[in-house]
Amino acid sequence: MQIGLSEYLIVGAVLFVAGVVCMATKRNGIGVLMGVELVLNGANVNFVAFARYTPLGLDGQIISLFVIVLAAAEAAVALAIALNFYNNHMTIDVDRGDQLKG
Amino acid sequence: MSFSELIQSLLDDTTRSLAHFGPELWLCGTILALLLMRLFGWDRLVPPYIVATAGTLVGFGITYFDFLNLEAAGEAEHLFTGLLVYDRFTIFFRLFLTLFLVFVIALTVLTGIPDREDGPDFYTLLLGSVVGMMLMVSANHLLILFLGVEMASVPSYAMVGFLKGRRLSSEAALKFVVYGAGAAGVMLYGVSLLSGLLGTANLPEMAARLNLVVTGEAGMADATVRTIVLSLMLVFVGLAFKLSLVPFHFWCPDAFHGASAEVAGFLSVASKAAAFALLVRLAIAFLGQDPVAWAGVNLSLGIAVGVVAAVTATFGNLAAYAQSNMKRLLAYSTIAHAGYMLMAVAAMMIIRHGGAMAVFSEAEARSEAQRAIGGLLFYLWVYLFMNLGAFAIVAMIRNRIFSEEIDDYAGLVNQCPWLCVCMLLCLFSLVGMPPLGGFFGKWYIFASLFQAGKVHWSMWAVLGIAGLNTVFSLFYYVRVLKAMFIAPRPEGARRADIPWIEGAYAGILSLSVLALGCAPLLVNSVSRKAREVAGVLLIP
Repeated sequence: MQIGLSEYLIVGAVLFVAGVVCMATKRNGIGVLMGVELVLNGANVNFVAFARYTPLGLDGQIISLFVIVLAAAEAAVALAIALNFYNNHMTIDVDRGDQLKG
Repeated sequence: MSFSELIQSLLDDTTRSLAHFGPELWLCGTILALLLMRLFGWDRLVPPYIVATAGTLVGFGITYFDFLNLEAAGEAEHLFTGLLVYDRFTIFFRLFLTLFLVFVIALTVLTGIPDREDGPDFYTLLLGSVVGMMLMVSANHLLILFLGVEMASVPSYAMVGFLKGRRLSSEAALKFVVYGAGAAGVMLYGVSLLSGLLGTANLPEMAARLNLVVTGEAGMADATVRTIVLSLMLVFVGLAFKLSLVPFHFWCPDAFHGASAEVAGFLSVASKAAAFALLVRLAIAFLGQDPVAWAGVNLSLGIAVGVVAAVTATFGNLAAYAQSNMKRLLAYSTIAHAGYMLMAVAAMMIIRHGGAMAVFSEAEARSEAQRAIGGLLFYLWVYLFMNLGAFAIVAMIRNRIFSEEIDDYAGLVNQCPWLCVCMLLCLFSLVGMPPLGGFFGKWYIFASLFQAGKVHWSMWAVLGIAGLNTVFSLFYYVRVLKAMFIAPRPEGARRADIPWIEGAYAGILSLSVLALGCAPLLVNSVSRKAREVAGVLLIP
């Protein structure tokens, strides 16, 4: 079987959906962040596949490099915030953050 | 092209671009200086806010110089091989953002929210966020769109959680980062599909190819077209999150409640302004190519945006009514104001559709669309002063009475009468009472909605809802003022004596609000400038 653009896009879509489901269902803060990473990587697979098969060309690869760096930076900030939450609440269950409402 | 020619053309492009990139470079240089200060321990010798203020003032000076020569900036110039665009719109928003940054840094100095130890970190985050917003307002490429949004968001997550030991602050930051990262991921997926399907990530090229797709015979039945529409909606989700539009507003009250009032004031104005600049750019670039061919798309998207705007304004105002915490109340009022401002974008889309449907003549449609966007820009200027003023006064009172509950504001007028008058001006301007600045902001947007109603009746419905909302919003703002002015100060409550310098700061902001409503010359010149700036985007 010839592997083409659509196969890559399917992989990207599966990663995206898995990430969104993970974000929506996980109660553990770290789990939610892992879902975000899956979504970003789903988009990255798309970018690289489009770079190979469409006139998007090198732009796609460059964007995916930027996204990898940004995902790392975002994860660093998010983990610091999760640690800060843990220090104050002794848990990283996002449902336990229930003081702000209304 | 030989290799040396390629290098030469890149060098030429970069040197030409750097000349127009001054404010951003200055802010980046200031960030580096702040980090190095921390490294070498110089922050004990020189207070970090001095470095931050100096760098920002230079950035503001450069932008102001550009702004004075606004007429000279004729054609839009593409910087860095087309990643950024430099036109009057860019200059206008750079001026807005740098001026706002000066005000925010002054506020943090007055209320002392980052202590000396944390100063370099806080200002690094603040300036980094503004650099991201400046990229957003000059984005010409999907990469910069995403990078700008993320560069603006990631430091603001950290700033919301800056009060380290507080339970509320850490909870707010966690909620903000979870929602924000999710929205950014969804937006990136939309960007990947959009750029892949159109084969380019450069906005003008994308708009031209999108035009080919829409004018082609494929129509909405084609799978590619439907995917493009879906991916545009995913990109809109990311922007709607930044703008806190319903149903992507959940983060806003929680983040503002948990963050310090200074940070909340910063987020409520700067990130809204940058996101609106980006939204207007996208909307005009994508929908403005050929109004006749785009007629159906313009109409249906315009109505959809109008409905989102009406729902957002109504929800914000209804939810604000039940709040007892001042920052939460202002957060819902921020949501409501995002709704009002979005109405201008909806009106612009519908008016352009009217131009295509011969309800307006071509020239009329252009000048009315220009009015709508000009109204939005005017509103943003007034919003800068009135919203920052309200948050600043909340911060000043917090430093004295250690509370942000509306009930604890009872009888403050006896202790700090002038500050209460400033709050009165800011809040009445938020309602939109004449003769304050907020009145003219609302007036321009409502007038555009009325014109748009001639094209499609739904805009008149949106106008009616907006009018009702304005009346309704009066009640919850007045509740705050009633506590401050009429209720007696309870026995034994903490005194709120405000030093004159803080009073002067609040006074400058609220006098600006007053001047933007009372001085006809100023109102005229600002709104003319705003229309002129909006014009550069609309001229094809």
